[in-house]
Order: sequence, then structure tokens, then C-alpha cells
Amino acid sequence: MVKKLLTLSLFCVLMLPLSVFAQGANVRGKITDGSTGELLPGANVVLSEVSLGASSDIDGNYEIKNVPSGSYSLEVSFVGYKKYSASVTVGSVDVVIDITLIPDFLGLEEVYVTAYGIEKTKNELSYAAQKVDGNEIAQAATGNFMNVLSGRVAGVDIKQGNSMGGSTNIVIRGYKSLTGNNQALFVVDGVPFDNSNTNGGGQQTGRGGYDYGSAAADINPEDIASINVLKGPAASALYGSRAANGVVVITTKKGKKGQAIGVTVNSGLQVGMIDKSTFIDYQNEYGAGYGPYYSGGDHPGLEEFDLDGDGTDDLVVPTYEDGSYGEKFDKSLMVYQWDAFDPASPNYGKKTPWVAPDNGADTFFETATTWNNSVFIDGGSTKGFFKLGYNNVRENGILPGSELTKNLVNFSANYEITKELTASASVNLSKIEGKGRYGTGYDDKNLMTTFRQWHQTNVDFKDQKDAYFRNKLNATWNWNDNGTIGAMPDPIFWDNPYFTRYENFQNDNRDRYFSNISVNYKPLSWLSITGRIALDSYDEFQEERQAVGSVTVANYNRYNRSYREFNYDLLVNMNKKISDDLSISGLIGTNIRRTKTTSIFASTNGGLVIPRLYSIANSLNQVNAPTEFEGEVGVDGYFAQAAANFKNFLVLDMTIRQDQSSTLPDGENTFYYPSISGGFVFSELLGTSGFLDYGKIRVNYAEVGNSAPIYSILDDYTKPTPFGSVPLFSVPGTKNNPILKPETTKSFEGGLEATFLKGMIGFDVTYYQSSTIDQIIPVSITTATGYNSKYINAGEVQNKGFEVSVFTKPIATKDFIWNLDFNWSKNTNEVISLADGIDNLQIASLQGGVSINAALGEAFGTIRGSNFTFDDNGNKIVGSNGFYVRTSTSNEIIGDMNPDWIGSISNRFQFKSLTASFLIDIRSGGDIFSLDQYYGQGTGLYKNTIGLNDLGNPKRNSLADGGGVILPGVLADGTPNTKRVAADRYSGPYGWARNPAAAFVYDGSYVKLREVTLGYSIPASMLKNVKALNGIDITLVGRNLWIIDKNLPDADPEEQFSSGNISGYQGGAYPTARTFALNVKLKF
Amino acid sequence: MRKIISLAIVALILVSCSDNLTDLNKNPKSAQVVEGQTLFSNALKNMTNTMNSTSVNLNVFKLYAQYWNETTYLDEANYDLTGRAIPDNFWGSVYRDVLKDLDESAKLIAADGALTADIKANQLAIIEVWTVYSYSQLVVIFGDIPYSEALDFSNTTPKYDDALTIYKDLLVRLNAATTSMKTGADSFADADILFGGDVSKWKKFANSLKLRMGLILADVDAALAKSTIEANYAGAITSNADNALFMYLDSPPNTNPLWVDLVQSGRQDYVGANTFIDALNAVSDPRRAAYFEEVTAGGYVGGVYGLQSPYNANSHVGDAMHQPDFPGNLFDAAEYHFILAEASARGFNVGGTAAGHYTAGITASMEFWGVAAADIATYLAQPSVDYATATGTYKQKIGYQKWFASYLKGLEAWTDWRRLDFPTLNVPPAANTPTPVRFTYPVREQNLNKAQYDAASTAVGGDVVTTKLFFDKF
Repeated sequence: MVKKLLTLSLFCVLMLPLSVFAQGANVRGKITDGSTGELLPGANVVLSEVSLGASSDIDGNYEIKNVPSGSYSLEVSFVGYKKYSASVTVGSVDVVIDITLIPDFLGLEEVYVTAYGIEKTKNELSYAAQKVDGNEIAQAATGNFMNVLSGRVAGVDIKQGNSMGGSTNIVIRGYKSLTGNNQALFVVDGVPFDNSNTNGGGQQTGRGGYDYGSAAADINPEDIASINVLKGPAASALYGSRAANGVVVITTKKGKKGQAIGVTVNSGLQVGMIDKSTFIDYQNEYGAGYGPYYSGGDHPGLEEFDLDGDGTDDLVVPTYEDGSYGEKFDKSLMVYQWDAFDPASPNYGKKTPWVAPDNGADTFFETATTWNNSVFIDGGSTKGFFKLGYNNVRENGILPGSELTKNLVNFSANYEITKELTASASVNLSKIEGKGRYGTGYDDKNLMTTFRQWHQTNVDFKDQKDAYFRNKLNATWNWNDNGTIGAMPDPIFWDNPYFTRYENFQNDNRDRYFSNISVNYKPLSWLSITGRIALDSYDEFQEERQAVGSVTVANYNRYNRSYREFNYDLLVNMNKKISDDLSISGLIGTNIRRTKTTSIFASTNGGLVIPRLYSIANSLNQVNAPTEFEGEVGVDGYFAQAAANFKNFLVLDMTIRQDQSSTLPDGENTFYYPSISGGFVFSELLGTSGFLDYGKIRVNYAEVGNSAPIYSILDDYTKPTPFGSVPLFSVPGTKNNPILKPETTKSFEGGLEATFLKGMIGFDVTYYQSSTIDQIIPVSITTATGYNSKYINAGEVQNKGFEVSVFTKPIATKDFIWNLDFNWSKNTNEVISLADGIDNLQIASLQGGVSINAALGEAFGTIRGSNFTFDDNGNKIVGSNGFYVRTSTSNEIIGDMNPDWIGSISNRFQFKSLTASFLIDIRSGGDIFSLDQYYGQGTGLYKNTIGLNDLGNPKRNSLADGGGVILPGVLADGTPNTKRVAADRYSGPYGWARNPAAAFVYDGSYVKLREVTLGYSIPASMLKNVKALNGIDITLVGRNLWIIDKNLPDADPEEQFSSGNISGYQGGAYPTARTFALNVKLKF
Repeated sequence: MRKIISLAIVALILVSCSDNLTDLNKNPKSAQVVEGQTLFSNALKNMTNTMNSTSVNLNVFKLYAQYWNETTYLDEANYDLTGRAIPDNFWGSVYRDVLKDLDESAKLIAADGALTADIKANQLAIIEVWTVYSYSQLVVIFGDIPYSEALDFSNTTPKYDDALTIYKDLLVRLNAATTSMKTGADSFADADILFGGDVSKWKKFANSLKLRMGLILADVDAALAKSTIEANYAGAITSNADNALFMYLDSPPNTNPLWVDLVQSGRQDYVGANTFIDALNAVSDPRRAAYFEEVTAGGYVGGVYGLQSPYNANSHVGDAMHQPDFPGNLFDAAEYHFILAEASARGFNVGGTAAGHYTAGITASMEFWGVAAADIATYLAQPSVDYATATGTYKQKIGYQKWFASYLKGLEAWTDWRRLDFPTLNVPPAANTPTPVRFTYPVREQNLNKAQYDAASTAVGGDVVTTKLFFDKF
């Protein structure tokens, strides 16, 4: 298949130079802006009958050469201007036509790309669609275009983790499917582009692993011409069973017919430094230990015994502890610390002063750098056009030893074989290589787990670094034994962090082909037939290591996964003007899709024989059978669309699709997705007088659906590792269901758009409501049934909300333009019904005794756990022991992961060739349970665990010495609590041991200065002397510069483990990097 | 012409890929048909693992019996059941990973036409024994549990049956199973990873189980306890040679789960508890050398139960328990003798005397742990050990010595403590609750089977750890 594609594309390239230019006269002229009189470079001029064309140069001049004699219609198009057309007759002499373009401030001629590549103008759109221009994406200069969408499209909730190359969560208009996929579908040039992440279930629920990122990150940001977000089912219904979650339609750049070869070279460097407001600020007064109970002497936070055998007792750090409720720092105390047990250390066998370190955990982070270089070549002849792009990104993250490389090649070409028949092909190759990705979740390979939860505040990170690099051994601060100075002890809970980074690293790569060939046949002016074969194909390989000498069992595992998706499309497009007032268009098509995934995972068992040899054969014990998966999903879809446009102010659009899906049982596997939508441009009736420029009402209704996950119909058995030679089989935890039917989303949407005062101000308001019913859920059932869950069709989730976009142009003079835009959206989500007899569906059970749930009558994503108990006046109840009384159950609702609303404010200034912009992202609400605070306060790392109490004494003094705290609250009888409890140990008033989970739920709101850009295009006049150079753009971009406001301490509320349905939970969170990028773009 | 060819190619491809969609539902990498015996083997292993485990997420009974203490993180020793959802995990691992596989195994074997009648009868009887064993453990932990309506995916809200009723039914089933066993015929052969298919060993195990269960009923239905024990004591595991030991292998994942937590993890979570070690020290128990390691300064020191107990300062778990193939002990001769001792003391007619069985119990345990005969004699000669002179009632005497002998069988020791109220356990000063006398029901039940959960909570007398279960009358 791939070979076929390559051959075809090669063929297309070879054809290009073969086209022969006919002899004739030239058509030329100058193009200017009708409002400012400025010359317009880059406008596209075409003689449509002969497909000849040219673009205007930096002086606004265009020239179409060698035009055969005849009469033509000359058409000029340029983004932001109304289309221009004129008749031209060409004879033997050159024709000069100067053109003045009128700005299209209402964007009426702007093209929106909708389902199956159908292009619509603003008037023709009868559902919510929002567009992001490719320039904005390129200018933001981040390796992952998805992150740029944040704040730019109302109703789209985007969350990005902080790990290098991590996945991006994109949910449009709320979570609809209780346990299925809620991520938007990505479509590139009409072909679905897989965006799954291969992160394991354990990784997604915070149990360790790596975030391998979202596959859509393989798209070259430099190649994107525009992104259209189709938010509602009416817009996306033609995509059938994949459309329920909205569609991100990406149009890539194309060459143009008759255009000279253009070369663009872009080079950028981005650097990133951690934002300290998103990292832990340690208390710096007390060191290692869990409380004052190690010795009976004057220094109970330290061990006291005769370590060196000189007959007197020595002070020794309890190196085996990973908390910081130990002895108060005192530089006069000489103590045997972790390095006294490292035979290679200069402090081996020596006491050192007991002080806070000079180099804390924040010094562990490095300056991240990203080099981003790309070349883009495009051009065309009279018969066709092509583009060729190459993008290389090399990123080193904030953690030592992390590296991510992307190499992306895009090629596409289009060739007119005959006047009626056009062939085109595109090939995108990508190679993503990661090494030293960040471990996530509760795991020894996620250093944030130790930095934020389990740590000794006396550890100096430079000393740890030196200790590792001296001999590359695991010279940890966390020895299991401090009893003798001799050979190096073993680690107990945590490795030396440098050992973790440089020895226990992973690597991975993903090689992807995304390609299609298509043939378009246009026998009549109003009829075109397109056949297309597309392949999205990638192979992934992941290797993970645990070195000999680590805390956990030495291990090597490898995972190979292949993904192949074939799409065969046949589309018949009709577009006919019945009269001057009425035009109709239609589409009939079929889409045959086959998606096949295979994978194999193999791991060593029980350890490795030879250190640093990472192969399965190096397993210490006999290797267990690898885990294999093979699955193919097929969907056969047939669809039709009909649209009528009356006088360009009344639009009616209807679609219907039938899908037959392989994952549903025979008889239930065929289903239909209808949609109907209408638009009414009322301003066309009111005339252009007055302050209203434009007004439109739109209404639509659609039903889309989702079929079952693969293998949820037939039962089979799981096969545990045999017991010696005795085979074992087991009934799986999930009971499948042979009578599943598809789930359905029914959606209604209404919208109002208006523009006033010649484009000075405009808005777009949408209300939507959708209900997803008959959900296919592996519903949790009591394990007394012998199963964890069973597949059923049940439940309904309703989402409704508003999306508001406001566009203003407070200043628009010849030299200075200021655009101020607002996006705001509010989604309300409610679980209307669940399966019979079930009032709560647990989505995930997470460490810290909390769970994420869909509870009847609540939003999808309630956080449950133990809560405080309260009296009738709302006071927290304290028990006779002085600690808060927790609820006896841990299924109290203690939070909701959904934000109340999200919004953004975008400012864009243009002063001649200078542009500047800044974007503020706002998220209000959305609770987060912090495992970092849950444990980290309990181990005495955070600043709130020290300080003075109400008596003015250090809290950490013993009770006898005036320490301890009185927790605010009342006793069961309503009287204020007066009992002082010791705060000098881990089971005190802070952290997990004595508090309900609710104590660690924080409001996830934030206001962020997301992006600041400053761009300068060197004026054409300055470049006249530089041969061949058409332009230089210099851009400075800052991202995530400032979290203006947040309520979650010591972390970024946006940080997540992985994309998916689990949010509202943080553990081992990475700090956010502030990044600054400098980009230089040269156009030849 | 070219255009027609191009279109024809596209059309051809479209047609050629319309295969039969439904066939794609069959997973080519997993088994749809298996032999029933393999599910039985899996249930054997899973239940034994659950009982032997010391994972803080699953089995905390070595702590509840105060054999061991936690070193640093004391949540479980202080009876926090919900932080790690321990009741959920235990309940789930027995119902889902053991009972469901047994249920499926029995169905497949019953439908297997290739087995001889005797072998089939034996296999089904053995499955029945293991099913009863598994249920009986759930009942003594939780009280009322889903039973008559359990293991049926079409009923997702199974009712909870009365614990005593279940317990009596389990005894009936156990009797029926032993009756149907044909000791002359084969059963599972190698698939029986506990007894190698030896039906007579299964019969002894089943009879032993009847004794254990019978004794649990002693305070609630003395007549049934008496008749059950009297009828079955002769056919039980009576000597160490017959002990029901699960022989673990030496490589993961088939090792004793103790090794996973004590050795493979690299952690230092457990030391001996002062409750147990102080009691052993008081009688200079020679089993100490096997049960624990001496501290550096010499002697056996237990960490104060429920308080931080630095690993270096307290006795570690003995060396044998650090071996991956350390056997899992399900029932041994010592337990048999202590059951008979108590039965005698209660006036049941089981042959011999309470004192005789008491002495035999201590002896069997010491022999099992490799104590020399002379040391056993010395030990037994102590007035504080001798049944005639030891302190207290039979409950106290047997309570202590059976506790010593039941080391590692945390659940059995905790149940004996609940029945006998001996040994005297320490009350951890920072504990959330008094020492639990039952597990609370899983949180999942509160969420997923609420109405039945509520009914059961009321029926047992409140879903709290201080509610005494049906057998716990004193």
C-alpha cells in the first residue's frame, strides 16, 4: 500500500516539469488595498478557464505569463478581502489590469472547511464552527499545535500536562460518554488522523508509567493552513460514529497553480525555565525523620548510637526514612548523614553539620531547550502544484537526560490529467523519538513523587549529583541501613534522582505514514466525483528499564504496537444554481474504514542477570509469556447531504449517514445519523443601513452515535502465567454482552451572530444541549457477582451550555489596529440516568482513597472520598483526641472536576510591520485532589507544617515545650475545640494520617498569561537589495509566562497524567516551564 | 479512458474490502474454550495467595492478631480500613478471583462428557470443598454476605444472606462433598496444585475444615458444633505429615506472596509486634528463633503495636519467611489438636483430654517449626505452659498457646481471639477504632448494591468494625 502511494506521488512530481507553457501575451498589474491604498503582496490571481495564475510580489505586482489569446474571467482572492473578478480579453499584446481589493471586514467570504472537506462561507454555515488561522499556530512556535488551540476556540476545553511530549486532553462541549472516548476527532485534509494515546490504564490513574503523548502531535504545525473546529454533532454528523465528540478539521498548506517556487525557511529556539510557583517550597528548618522518637537523648529526631566504635554515641540520620519531621537544623550538630555511608564520597565515614542544603530540589531542573527548524517549498505549473515541507524539532526538557526529536516530512501534489480529471496525493512521514520521558504518577521513576511527597529536606542535590557521577552507582540519600560504615548499603524507597534519570530511563519511537491518493473527476460544471484511498499507519516501540541496584526489581520491558487505518472514500458532489435566487448542493458518499491494531508486550521476570544489559533474554527468572493483542474494527458508512441556499440568506442543510459497525452484534450493527440545520441571515433583509452590519440566526438538530469498544460482545478467558507447568485460566473481570446496541447522542443547537459598526464589534453566541443515551458502559457491579463490571446499554448524560465569542476592534487606523477578542463558555453536565439500581458509576479509583465518579444527578466527574463531619452550623467537628472526625465512609462527594466556565482574552496589536499579542486563559472552578499535599504535608515537607502556633511557639516543639496546634472546629457538643495536638510527627494534624481526603481538594481555577508574542516583518522596501529574499519575519514568543492567579498551592492546576476521562486529580505533578522562543522566518 | 480506469480501480478496492464485519468480533489472541480444571487450579492459587499475603492492600490479619507491627507507616496497624480499600480488595479477590473461577470450573467439568463418573464426582467434590473454604473465610470476616444470589452477573443486586444460615449450609455442602468422594479414584492429578489430586488428602482437609467451622459455632449452636466435631475428628489432618501446605515455587509470579512484600520489594515495613514477642519471651518460647530474628544487641524485641518501630531496633521476621518457596499453611496438626483441646474443654466427646490435646498441639507446632525434642520437653514443663498449672480458664490457656502456634495464620488467630477473648491484645494509642471484630463492608457495595447493603448493615447490627458477628457471643 505504502509503496503504491509513494510511486504515485513520485509520478506526480515527475509530471510537473513536463507541462509545456503555451506561447501568448502576459497579463499584469498592481494590487492595492481599497481602504488604505497599501500595496498587497501575496494576493492570488487566476484566469479560471485556463488555470493560469500568479501571486503578487512584495510590491503588489503580479504577472501571468504566456496567456493564450482569448476571453477570460480574472479572479483575485486574498484572505481578508472580498473576491474580485473581471473579464479580460487577451490578444497578442500584454494586458495591464490594476486591481483594488475591498477589505472583507465581516469575513463573509472566508471559507470554513466542514465535514468531508465541504467548504462553506459564513452565510452558509448553520452550526457553530470556529476557525484558527495557520499563521497563529506557526507563530506560537510550540512543537504541539494542539496546545495553541487553548483559549482560541470557545467551548473547547484543553488541558496539557507538563511532561515533555505529553498528551493533550481536548474535550469539546463536555464529557458525553461515561466510559468511552471523549476526545475530539482529528481530520487532516478530509482523512481521520488517529489521536489515541498508548498510555496504560495504570498510568492514566496515577499508578506510574510514562505519558507517551497524543498521536496528533505528529502533525507538522508549520504545515497547517487552518484549523476549523466543528463543535456540535450537526456539524460533524457526516462522520457518523466518530463524530459525537466534535471534530478538529485541519487543512494543510497547498501549493497553487501557476505559482513560482517559493521557499520558506524557519528557524527557532525556545528555552524554558520552571515557574517556581508551580513547584514545592520546602520548609527549611527540620530534616529527615518522622518524629522525635529515634533516640532518648537531646536529639530525638536523630538516631544516637556509637556508629564509629569510639565508645561515645554519635548522631546519625535515619537515612531509611523519607519524611522531614526530624531534628531541627543546627549547624553546631555534627551528624553522620547519607554521604557518610557512600564509600566514594569525600564525606565517607565523616560527620557533617546538620544544616539545610544550599541546593534544593529546584536546582535539579535544567533549562529546557527546543530547536525548531523547518523548510517549506511550494510551487505550481499550469497543470498542477505541489508542496514539500520538512520540520525538525529537537527538545531537551527540564529533567536531565530528556530528549525528544521529531522529524516530519510532508509532501503533496496535485495534477490535472485532463480538464475533467485531477489526481492528487499526499504523503506525510513522521518519526518521533523520545528518550528519558518523565515518569508520571505514584512511582519511583516519577521524581516528583519523592520531591513533593517523600523527601528529606536535608539532602543537597549537588551532592547527590556528584555522588552519582563519581561511579554511576545508586548513591542514594535513602539507605535502608545506617548501622555500619562499611560497604554501600541498599536503597530503601527512593533512588538517587540522577541514577533514576540516567539509569532507569525509557526510550521510544513512532514512525508514521499518513498518506492518501485521490482522483477527482468533474464531468460537468456542477458535478464532481472523488475517489480516495487513505492510510494512517504507524508503528510504535517503547522500551522501559529499571537498572540493577534500583529500589524496585531490575526490569526491562518492551512494547511494540502497530496501527493501520484504511479509509476508502467515494464522494459525489453536486452544486447547482437553479436560479439566481436558489442554489442547491448535495453530496452522496461512502466511507469504508478498517482499523487494525496489533501489539505485543514482553518483560523480564524477577530481575536482570547482567547489569545494564537490556534484553528479554537477560531475565533473571524464566520469562512469562508476552501479552499480545490483535484487533480489527470495521465500519461501512454510506451518507448523503443536501443543502439549499435561497438568496444567500436562507440556508437549509440536511445530512444522513448509515453506519454498519463490526463491534456490535449482528442485527444491531446498522444505525443512522440524521441531522438538519437552518440558517437565516436576517441582516440581508434589514439592509446595510444602521449600526448592524450582519446578523444571523442558526438552529440545528442532529443525532450521532458511537459503537461498542472492540471485543465487548463475546466472552473469553484470561490466561495468567502458568503455575510451573500447570496451565491456569480465569474468568475475566468484565462480563461481555451479546446484545449491545449503539449509543446515541441527540443534540440541539441554536446560535446568533451579529456584527456592528463596520466590524468594530461582533459576537457569536451559541446555546447547545445534547443528551447521550444508551451508553455502552462496562458498568461496575458488585464483585459478589464474580465480575468487576459488565457491558450494558444504559445511562444518559446531558450537556448543555453557552459559548460566547466577542470580537472587537477598539482601534483601527491606517497604521494601528487593535483586536480585542473574548471567548467564554460554560458547560453544565449532568448524569441523568444510569443502569437500573445503580446511582453511581465509578470511573476511576485513585490513590489517597478518592475516586472519580458519575453519580446520578451530579456532573460526570465528581470526586468522592472521606469528608470532614460538620455540625448544624457548618463547623468542622473535632474528636476528643483533638483531630478532625472523618466520615465513616469514603464515598462522600468532595469535589467536581468540571470547571464552572472557561474563557480567554486575546489582544492583538498591529503597528505597521510590528505585531504584538497576548492571550490570557481563564478557568474558573474544577476541583483537584492533590496527592502531593496529602502525603507531602504528612511527611512534613511543606511550609505549613512549620511556623508558630497560637502561643507564639514553634508548632514542632513538643507539647511539653509549648508546641502543637489546636485545630479550628467544635466538639460534638458544639463547644470550641481546645485540645492541642502534637505537630512534631507525621501522624499529627497535617497530611493523610489524620485528615479526610476532602482536606486536600483544591479549587483548580486559574488565570494565566498564556502567550505573548512580538513579531516584526522586515518591510519589503528594506529587502530590495537582498536578492531572492521576499521577506523576513522575526517573532518572539513567551508561553506560560505568568500564572496570574490560582488556588492550588505549589503546582499548576492544569497539570495532568494523561489525556482521557480522568481529571481532577494530581500526584507527582511536574512544574510548569515558562518558555521563551525566538523565531526567524525567511521567505524566498 | 484513463479516467474510467482510475474510477474502476477505486470501485474495485471499495468492493474488495466489504468482508464480513461480524467475524472481526472474535478475538484471535484469547481462548474462548478452555478446560474446567485450569480454572480450579487458578482458584487454588488465588485463594492461597490471599490468605498468605501480607499486602497492606489486602491482608492485614497478621497485624490484627498483633504478630507483626508496621515500622513507619502505621495506617493498617491502626485499623484504617478505608484508606486502601482493604475490604473491597479482600471481598473482590475472593468472589471474583476464586469463587467465580470455581463456579465456572464446576460448570465446565459437569458438562465434560469425556470424564469418567468417579473422576468427575471427585473433581466436583473438591471444587465444592474449596468453595466452602473460601466462603467460610468471607463469613467470619464480614458476617452476612451475598451467597444464595451471588456469582450471577444477571443479578447485580444480590441480597445478603444471614451469616449463620450460610455457615450451616456450608457445613451441609461440605458433608455432601466428602460423602461423594471416591478415594479409590483419581481427581485432578497435576491440576491440583495443593494435593496433587490425592482425594484422601482432600477428604482430610474437608474434615479438618468441618472441625474449624464447627468450633466457630460452639457459642452459637453448641449442639451442631458438638455433632460436627464428634463426627469428623477421626478423619481429619492429625499429624504434621498430613498438613495442608501449599508448595510455592521459587520464581515470580508463583512465589509465596510474603516473599514479594518482605524481600522483593526491598522495603522494611514489618517487625515483630511487642504483643506477640513479649508473650513469647515470657515463656522463653523456642519457636522465637524460627519466627523472628534477634536484634543486634541480642534477644527478641517487638515494636510497640501501633507505634513507629524502627526496623533496626526491633526483631525482623524469621529467615524462613524470606524464602520465595516458603509453603503456605492452610491447616496443620497443631490446629487440629487445639481444636480438640477446646472441644474437650467444652465437653465434646473427641477422645483424650483437653490437657492431652493441648500438649499435643504445642508439640506438633514445635516439631513443625523444627524445635528439638528436649527443648519441647523443657518448654512443656514450665508451670506457665503446663495445662494443669497455666493461668486462667481453658479459653485463656488455649487462647495463648493456639495463638503461638497459629503464627502467620493471621485470620485464624484473629478469629480465635474474637471467640476466646484471649490473648489480651494491646490497644494502639493512636488507633482510629478499637481492635476490629469484623470488617466493614466494601465501599463498592455502598455504591453499587446500596439497598442490599443497607439491609445487611441493619441485619448485622451496624456496618462498623465494632459490631460482633454471629459467633462472637462473649
